[in-house]
Formats: sequence, structure tokens, C-alpha cells
Amino acid sequence: MSGGGRISIFKKHHHHDPHAHSVHKPGRRLMHGVPLHFVHKRVAGGGGRNVNAALNLVAFIDFLIVTVIFLLMSFSASGEVTVDKNITLPRADNVSDVIEAPMVAVNGNQVLVDGSPAGSTRAIEDLGRMQKVDELFDLLKRKRELWKSFHPNKPFPGVCILQVDENVSSLVVKSVFQTAAYAGYPNVSFMVRKRGKTAN
Amino acid sequence: MGGVDVGPSNGKRQTNMEINMIPFIDLLMVTIMFLLITAVWVSYSRMNANAQIPGPPDPTKEIDPQTPEKVLNVHVTDNEFKLVWKQGATVVSETTAERPKATGTELRYEELAKKIADEWKQQSSHQDKADKKQDQAILHVDNRLPFKEVIAVLDAIYDCKREMTIENETKAFPVFNMSFSVR
Repeated sequence: MSGGGRISIFKKHHHHDPHAHSVHKPGRRLMHGVPLHFVHKRVAGGGGRNVNAALNLVAFIDFLIVTVIFLLMSFSASGEVTVDKNITLPRADNVSDVIEAPMVAVNGNQVLVDGSPAGSTRAIEDLGRMQKVDELFDLLKRKRELWKSFHPNKPFPGVCILQVDENVSSLVVKSVFQTAAYAGYPNVSFMVRKRGKTAN
Repeated sequence: MGGVDVGPSNGKRQTNMEINMIPFIDLLMVTIMFLLITAVWVSYSRMNANAQIPGPPDPTKEIDPQTPEKVLNVHVTDNEFKLVWKQGATVVSETTAERPKATGTELRYEELAKKIADEWKQQSSHQDKADKKQDQAILHVDNRLPFKEVIAVLDAIYDCKREMTIENETKAFPVFNMSFSVR
């Protein structure tokens, strides 16, 4: 805070360079004539800004926490149920949760049990009447016997789930339904897509 | 980064604590990644049906002749739904509901659902909460009917629910258990 430093800024600038009046060093010009040093420093913009920019992370962390809570609430530990890519399931409102049971997929061409071929849809349609699908019967019966050998002291639940394409005819559905019942699975469930509350 | 400001330090020991938020943000990001990858976006459900196949007779039990229960027969014809309550071979009541033409991809038979609910209130003998037995509905459909229409009818049948107490817990269950008519 010495007085000499302050006084020096009021001194008139003398240019000894003869070309100084025409060629100037590039830089800021505005407000350079302010004589007070501390005012000049503020208004001329030569004070130098802090190069470290502070980023507010609070909103970002809040967003992350909300996302984590939402995903945790919608998390299902039961796993994904695989549906044959050639099958479009119908939609329904009054449904219950899927349970662990053998999956019988019925598309426009064939019948599959847990991915293994178990009959032809076309053959049932061509015959034009209800029939027992022998391959399906054998596969389901084998699965039932396997289950019983693993659980000798438990009663067999007799549940299987049919994944049927929405355009398959009732004749095929009834034939598969009846075959499953004869193979020891009288409690047949139809897999559907749950309709949203706002859907028409 | 995040910090805790407890006032000026007075030149002694620094009282402003700084918490490193980077591991916390990393943990949140990894959790989000895991949940997004394992998320199941399409939810599938099921609708019950029962084949009503009688088991082999039990020789140790005496056969007790019982009066047959009332059964709702739902006939799907081209223009209407016919609802027939039968007790054995005797027709108890008969009514019809209009079958709207299928438009668009979404099929819903709301009028049929209302009619079935009205019929059930009038005819069913299983309306008490303690009664765990469901009424039986038999679906009569043409062999050519697409499966989506069968499910729409089934959805209308299962729309009617009643409260049932099972193991001291009261829940709403569909009043009917469905089976196909096989000829």
C-alpha cells in the first residue's frame, strides 16, 4: 500500500518509439484509460479468470439416485420368459403371473415343447377335426415321468403353458389342449401379453 | 466435489471436510448399467383353463351320488354369444349378448363381460367368501375361430371376480374356471 505505486499510474506515458503511434500491440483497448489501478483491473477485464470451473454435481447425483430407485422397483428376479419369434401373443386384461412349467409353443407351422419340435400345425388343420398329437403327447409324458422321478414324494401339479399365435385356429388350440390333458397336464394356461390400463 | 463447511478455519487445523464423490457416482453408474441390462421390458402373463378330465376311480371311497352343479355354457356364433346355464342336461336359463364385429387389433367384449356378471349373480351358488369353489364355464367355439377371439371371450369370462378367503387372506379371484367343449 505504498504511495509510490499509486502515484505512478497518474504519470503521463511517453513513447520513445517513433512508430508507436501507428502500430500497437494487440489486446484489449476498452476502459484502458481508467486511471485508478484497482478500477482499471476490474473493468478492463485483465484481472485473469480462474481456469478451474466448478460443476454443480448435486442435480446430477439426484438424477442418478432417482433412476436407480426406479430401476430397482421395476426389477424382476424371475427372469425372462422366452417366446418363439414366430408367435404373436394375444392381449388380455384379467391375467395372472407366469409360473415355472413346460412351455408348448404353437405357431402357424409347428408345435414345439421347450424348443423341441413336437408336431405340425398344418397337419392338424388339413385333417379338419380334433386329434391327439402323438409327438406332443410322447414329449409331455416323458417330461411328466422325469418330474416324478426327481420329486417322488410330491403330487404332480399338471400345469403346462401354451404360447399360441393369435391367428392359429381353435381347432389346433383344442387339439393341443386335449393332448396336453391326456398327457397328464389338465391345468393348461394360455400365455398372453398383459394389456396396459390405458390401452383400448 | 462435495464438502462439509463448518465455518472459518482460524488458521489452526482445516475444519472444512471434502468428500470425494467420484466413487459414489461410479457406483451409481454401474448400478444403473446393471439394472438396464437385466431389465425385462415386455411382461407376459397367463390365463388359466382346466381340461376337467376325471381321474381314475378310487376303490377305497364310496361313490356318493350328487346333484350336478349348474354350468355356464358360452356359445360363440357369427352374430351373438349365447349364454346357457345347464344343470346336467336340463337348461336352467338362456340369454344372448351381441357379438360386435372385430375392428382393429384390440379385441374386447365388454357387453359380454357385463352379461356374464349379471348371469352369475342370478344363477351361481358359489357367492360366499368362504366358498372356495369356482363355477364352471364351458366354451363352445367354431374350429375356424382365431385364437385371439377365444382369448377375448376368455378375458370377458374372467372379468367377473369375487372375493375369496384363503388362509385368512381375502383376494379377488375370477368366479369361473373355463374349459373347452370337445366334440
